[in-house]
Amino acid sequence: MTRNTRTPHSASRNALRAAIASFILLGGMAAAQQRGGTLTVGLGYDIDTLNVYSTGFLGDVQAAVVEGLVAPDAKASYVPVLATQVPTVRNGGIKIAADGKSMVVTYRLRPGVKWSDGVPMTSADVKFTWETVKNPKFIAESKDGSEDIASIDTPNATTVVVNYKRVAPDFMSTLFTFGIFPKHTLEGKDLNTDTYNEKPLGTGPFMVKEFRRGQYVILERNPYYWRKDSKGVQLPYLDGMVFKIIPDSNTLVTQLRTGEVQMAYGVPYSQVTQLDGVPGLRIVKNSVLSWQHLDFNLKTIDAFKDPNVRKAFAYAINKSAISKALGGYPTPINTVVVPVFSYTNPAVPKYDYNLARAQQLLDAAGWKVGADGIRVKDGKRMSFKIMAQAGRSTDEDAEQVIIASLKQAGIELQPDNKSGVAFRDARYKGNYDLFYGGWITSADPTYSVFYGSKGVNNGQGYASGKIDTLLDRAESTLDPVQRTAALRDFQTELMTDLPSIPVTSNPSMIAITEKLGGFVPNPTNMTNFVNSSGWYLNK
Amino acid sequence: MNATHLLKRLVGTLPLLLGVSLLLFGVLHLAPGGPLDVYADNPSVSPEALAQMRTAFGLDQPLPVQYVSWVTAFFTGEWGYSIRTARPVTQEIVERIGPTLILGGTAFVLSLLIALPLGIVSAVRRYSGIDYLITFLSFLGVSMPVFWLALMLQLLFAVQWRVLPSAGIQTIGSDSVLDLIHHLILPACILAFASVAGWSRYMRSSMVEVLGQDYVRTARAKGLTTGRVVIHHALRNALIPIITVVALDFATILSGAVITETIFAWPGIGRLFIESMNGRDYPVLMALMMAGSLALILSNLLADLAYAAVDPRIRYE
Amino acid sequence: MSDAAIPSTRRRTADTPWRLFRRRFLRHRLAVTGLVMLCVLALLALLAPHLAPYAFDGQDLEIMGQPQPPSRAHLMGTDQLGRDAFTRVLYGARVSLAVGLASALLSTLLGTLVGSLAGYYRSAVDSVLMRLTDVVLCIPLLPLVILLSGMLRPNVTLLVAIIGILGWMGTARLVRGQFLSLREREFVEASRALGGSNNRIMFRHILPNALGPIIVATTLAVGSGIMLESALSFLGLGVQPPTPTWGNLLNYASQWLQNAPWLALFPGLMILITVLSVNFLGDGLRDALDPRS
Repeated sequence: MTRNTRTPHSASRNALRAAIASFILLGGMAAAQQRGGTLTVGLGYDIDTLNVYSTGFLGDVQAAVVEGLVAPDAKASYVPVLATQVPTVRNGGIKIAADGKSMVVTYRLRPGVKWSDGVPMTSADVKFTWETVKNPKFIAESKDGSEDIASIDTPNATTVVVNYKRVAPDFMSTLFTFGIFPKHTLEGKDLNTDTYNEKPLGTGPFMVKEFRRGQYVILERNPYYWRKDSKGVQLPYLDGMVFKIIPDSNTLVTQLRTGEVQMAYGVPYSQVTQLDGVPGLRIVKNSVLSWQHLDFNLKTIDAFKDPNVRKAFAYAINKSAISKALGGYPTPINTVVVPVFSYTNPAVPKYDYNLARAQQLLDAAGWKVGADGIRVKDGKRMSFKIMAQAGRSTDEDAEQVIIASLKQAGIELQPDNKSGVAFRDARYKGNYDLFYGGWITSADPTYSVFYGSKGVNNGQGYASGKIDTLLDRAESTLDPVQRTAALRDFQTELMTDLPSIPVTSNPSMIAITEKLGGFVPNPTNMTNFVNSSGWYLNK
Repeated sequence: MNATHLLKRLVGTLPLLLGVSLLLFGVLHLAPGGPLDVYADNPSVSPEALAQMRTAFGLDQPLPVQYVSWVTAFFTGEWGYSIRTARPVTQEIVERIGPTLILGGTAFVLSLLIALPLGIVSAVRRYSGIDYLITFLSFLGVSMPVFWLALMLQLLFAVQWRVLPSAGIQTIGSDSVLDLIHHLILPACILAFASVAGWSRYMRSSMVEVLGQDYVRTARAKGLTTGRVVIHHALRNALIPIITVVALDFATILSGAVITETIFAWPGIGRLFIESMNGRDYPVLMALMMAGSLALILSNLLADLAYAAVDPRIRYE
Repeated sequence: MSDAAIPSTRRRTADTPWRLFRRRFLRHRLAVTGLVMLCVLALLALLAPHLAPYAFDGQDLEIMGQPQPPSRAHLMGTDQLGRDAFTRVLYGARVSLAVGLASALLSTLLGTLVGSLAGYYRSAVDSVLMRLTDVVLCIPLLPLVILLSGMLRPNVTLLVAIIGILGWMGTARLVRGQFLSLREREFVEASRALGGSNNRIMFRHILPNALGPIIVATTLAVGSGIMLESALSFLGLGVQPPTPTWGNLLNYASQWLQNAPWLALFPGLMILITVLSVNFLGDGLRDALDPRS
């Protein structure tokens, strides 16, 4: 919900595509659900396309319309959606080849699922999805996973056998989790320009009634939706949803206050306090799988190649001041793995705020305080540019606390903030000295994209043989015990080497009308909207 | 004025358009990273696919060739495809032009309706209290940041008093004109604000000048009332210089809508421009800048023609 | 307009142009007020390091997290990071006024240069330069400024350059007009007859006589430079915090309008007062310098 930028905040686009969303368990819900009503949601960005594979955004609307085979739930573990179960080695859904170099994944599809035009969804659609995404002519934002697949067999209408070229433990965070394409309407079409991009056909609880660019999307109930609640009531409860596009965050908050909008997520922390007392609204804190971090550019900045300099930076940053400045919503963290995951390592080396220690380290590294209070070594001033996402006020505030913190230690930082594609571009290519921002992961994170020497998001140019080995081990096994051990060691090693300083957690604040029931935030990214079949409005 | 002159003027705009296109082409290629930068960070887009797109966009050609093919395409209506939405640029723009014209047009008419009487009153009552008040208010108008005023009025009218919607062009599902007008009030007033200030000043000085001329003095000497003199004798002549200013400002009002449209979630050209900026959507940006320049050139032309139509002294060969 | 330009022997006569100008200008109350206000603001900006009670980026950990209302310790309150709003408004004056002034001077310089060359040499030079002026005038200004700032992510210097470079056309036309009429006057003929070089004639003889309208245009450009900076700040394309400008202070404050309206009040007022003063001053100068009135 930033003012000027519409890209997903500081997120690895590729990673977060993976984390489409989760389905809440409907059985345990209170008995007060009523059918009917329309929920009006405010969106802080201008939707580019409703095609889930080619949008540059999170795909909030898409999540209510299009479904995948599985999806991560509120605890970031996968639950079946269009498949009847999540394939595992234990249930026979995953078979690893004898040489351990490839695998076969079998999905059993839920019978009787129909597209919202009434045509049955079959295994052919799944295969078609892979073929379409893989097609080089299709300009997609997310093609992850499509290259890992050698072939797909469809022995019958409800069985999909996917032959993988490698053992890919993260296979669920890609391709079929995003969504399935309808073969019967898209076959032979050019998906880059097809009307699917305005009116996607899905199997989800809602379907697109009208999309007016720059204004709104109206969703209405999918009459063929397959899911029923525990009492056998046909879902979704809501008659429909309206997504209003309101790019200015002040206006969005104003609309929440006036009731013109009943729900918005990613409300800036500064605005949350102002919404707190508004009658009829409640604030939900969603602990998304995201963390804020300060990255050193190790490719071009020689000073950062000294690990003691990096550690001095870490000691000099007052994380609790950042937390306090942001209203206390984000909290200080010590590792890059968020606490939701079982393999987060509480025993990593910690760098609690300690200015004296920072100064000591810098002095020892030969950086002496100069006449203007800024440290100097070999005639070079300790002055760098720090990049954050322009227009994202939360990050800009934190950036300013970091700048002030480091100034105490004799380090000068100049903000060089960017927005939109320019920001993403600089982040991927490492066109910065220091980068402050947030990464978000899927429910099945692959950390090699960030810290592996060939990682796509490794714009900072970090390369460590030890880290590569540990991540390779973690990301090529399906054994949870081995995986956990490798990932814990990875965290210890990473925090010892410290190419990136984990700063705070990054909760997403959601404002919703008190009338909305059945809402459970989804941490895997900000698309809470796949949960929407079980939402209901109290009269 | 006749057809030959019109034709002459139209032909005269061509070098302007070419100059503008050359300049804009240069500006866009100044930008770090080319139009395909968007895809460069995407590992799923293979180098082959990138090369294919490069050829498709003609980016492998030398710059002058790119320019020529781009200009030719522009003048034949081939504006290419948006990088952000993959839809034809023309379609993107056509969809957004309506709301902007409605907003800009309303603001334009509103400004005229307010500015002209203010200017006239100010001129007729020169150096009186009301003149000073109007002068002061018009200066206030041009001295206030638009976004500041917009947020304040939004807060007052939508949150505090709840009499107007805070944003949007219509209540969703409603297509009534009344609803549209309801949504139009705040943004149109704010957009009109700055031009009211400027125009009333122009109107004042123009009127002052006319009122000082002999024929007006004669009319007064004949015993006509001030009202009659102003309306029947002075107004027409005082309006002539205003026309140029006003016509030129129409394009400015449209481009000024960038901020107003963002604040009021108005689905117009200004918003499209900002979205395209963030997406580095060069085809759309180029088209918008070119279209904007075209609008400016056209309003120039219109001002010229209107000038001739109003002022009988002007004759073009 | 400097006294030095006027021969001192003429001082004693009743109506030197300078005296005439001064008398007319002083009659324009609003313009005088504007001038005084601007002088006060400029002084405040210059003395900011001495006047400001705190460092412009000094954060107070104790009160961080929520803006504090004005108090004795903080005359204009504090922002979310515990920084003194009064200090930031003072320092903001430095950047905002500097941006306004520098961009106005730059555009005047460019415009005067283009205008004088075109007006003096006429024919080919004139038509090339004026075509160029026409072309740049045909591109909508605000979008172009936004486009360039978005692409280049400016620091203060670059921002001044962008605003200045895109604002010279009006001045150029104005100066050209002045030159076209002045170059035919006797004193120009005289100096040409005396063998004065083109440069000398242009800049020593004609230009001083065209200064009036140029000064007015420059004054008004200061105001529009400040306004443009604030508009860019709103779009996140202006000067980046922690360096304060009135524009980015106002933009930052807009998210606190509900809970901390004082944060928006003061920078908003400063912009208003400055631009208002500049406009009054320009108006007064125009009246005082207009030979017809």
